[in-house]
Amino acid sequence: MDILASFEWSFIWENREELWEGFKNTMKASAIGIGGAFVIGLVLGAIRAHRIPVASQLAATYVEIIRNTPILVQIFFIFYFLPRVGVSLEPFTVAWVAVMIWGGAFNTENFRAGFEAVPQRLREAGLALGFSPFKTFLNVTLPVGGRIALPSSINTYISVLKNTSLMLVVGYAELTAVAYSIQANTFRTFEMFAVLAVAYLAIVWMLSALIRLLEARLRLPEAL
Amino acid sequence: MQERGEGIAAALADEPGAKTNGTPVVRAEQIHKSFGDNVVLDGIDLEVSTGETLVVIGPSGSGKSTLLRCINLLEPIQSGRIFFEGEEITKKGVRVDQVRQRIGIVFQQFNLFPHLRVMDNLTLGARRVKKMPRREAEERARDLLVRVGLPEKERSYPHQLSGGQQQRVAIARALVMQPHVMLFDEVTSALDPELVGEVLVVMRDLARSGMTMIVVTHEMQFAREVGDRLTFMDEGKIVEQGIPADVLDRPKQERTRKFLRRSLQMAHSLEELTITQEGEAE
Repeated sequence: MDILASFEWSFIWENREELWEGFKNTMKASAIGIGGAFVIGLVLGAIRAHRIPVASQLAATYVEIIRNTPILVQIFFIFYFLPRVGVSLEPFTVAWVAVMIWGGAFNTENFRAGFEAVPQRLREAGLALGFSPFKTFLNVTLPVGGRIALPSSINTYISVLKNTSLMLVVGYAELTAVAYSIQANTFRTFEMFAVLAVAYLAIVWMLSALIRLLEARLRLPEAL
Repeated sequence: MQERGEGIAAALADEPGAKTNGTPVVRAEQIHKSFGDNVVLDGIDLEVSTGETLVVIGPSGSGKSTLLRCINLLEPIQSGRIFFEGEEITKKGVRVDQVRQRIGIVFQQFNLFPHLRVMDNLTLGARRVKKMPRREAEERARDLLVRVGLPEKERSYPHQLSGGQQQRVAIARALVMQPHVMLFDEVTSALDPELVGEVLVVMRDLARSGMTMIVVTHEMQFAREVGDRLTFMDEGKIVEQGIPADVLDRPKQERTRKFLRRSLQMAHSLEELTITQEGEAE
């Protein structure tokens, strides 16, 4: 138990400002990434569910590419390859763009499944009231299918948040990167990884609690 | 119950579309519809005048539900023409959503929106399609809930209601839009027997209030008492039509007779029925 005996709380306290900055950067990239993944998932999920020609095939290709390659490879691609074709991005931009594209692909599938689970007969009830197909989507398919997609899309948002920790490799000073560099300089490995574990647990717990509230409010009162 | 019928009439009194000139509300000319090789409607002609209740009966698969779905353009037809208040609605360039606003339909499975309370189910179309102010829409909805006997259910969700109650809400939801014709697609077929009556009563009162209706049903008693005209369909064709009592009691066509005999409601006892080679009750 040497490791516990040598655990120094004060070391964490001494580095609190840097860690706080890292935490804020994690939250920034996550918030933009989750927001973007929501929008991408919603739009492409709707396009996939309604089998809109060409756009649907393009969306499917995007989803397959992202789902079938490691996110680390995607990050490297954005960070190292894009500058060669003239698109050079800041580490912060790479961070949120990468998690957004990743989360958007998974969320496309979440929303597609949700929208497809809305029975055709409910859509017909909307059409019969005189809604155009697009307004039927907004008034029937979206509220019903969005609720069906909610639990799985929440898992995606949590993964988006945790995936920001990979931005270590592009030098974006988010929480993991900050903790990693502190322990690299000081060899205070255990303290730093303990901080990371507790911090991520706390963030994800808070996020899940928030989302559970939302879920309870929006829950469909019956099985379809 | 007569007062209730008049009640619905009062609720619909400001109907703009109660045209009393000779134009039929719905007229269909030689409708043909098939799903792949399967011919579902094979040259249907049909006419419904203002205030009339047309009842359509026939064996399952005879195309009667498809006919209703074609009339409010949920199904495209292969050939033929459908007119609504004199205007052809099957030609290119017709705003389908605008036509549907004036045609109410009630489905076998109710199809209420599960995420909305009864009140919002009723007002959604009025507010978002007709752009009626919420207050006005809710007032109208409350009136109709009284008429269908469910004034205390406006805060309920559909799943908290019985099938009969859900179906009455569905009827009210269609009526909020002030339709010029109401289509009923086997609206009691999914209900437990003891819940059928409450829905049929609402429909009877609606018919008495002067609503133009096309009712696809298996309820022979309803057809007899409420229908102004009865149409018997089989294999995508209209086999026979006329005054309901005439068709039911003195069918001219053998196919009508066969159907009515098979229909248990018309047989006096199960003993009269046997199973034929084709597996049908005879």
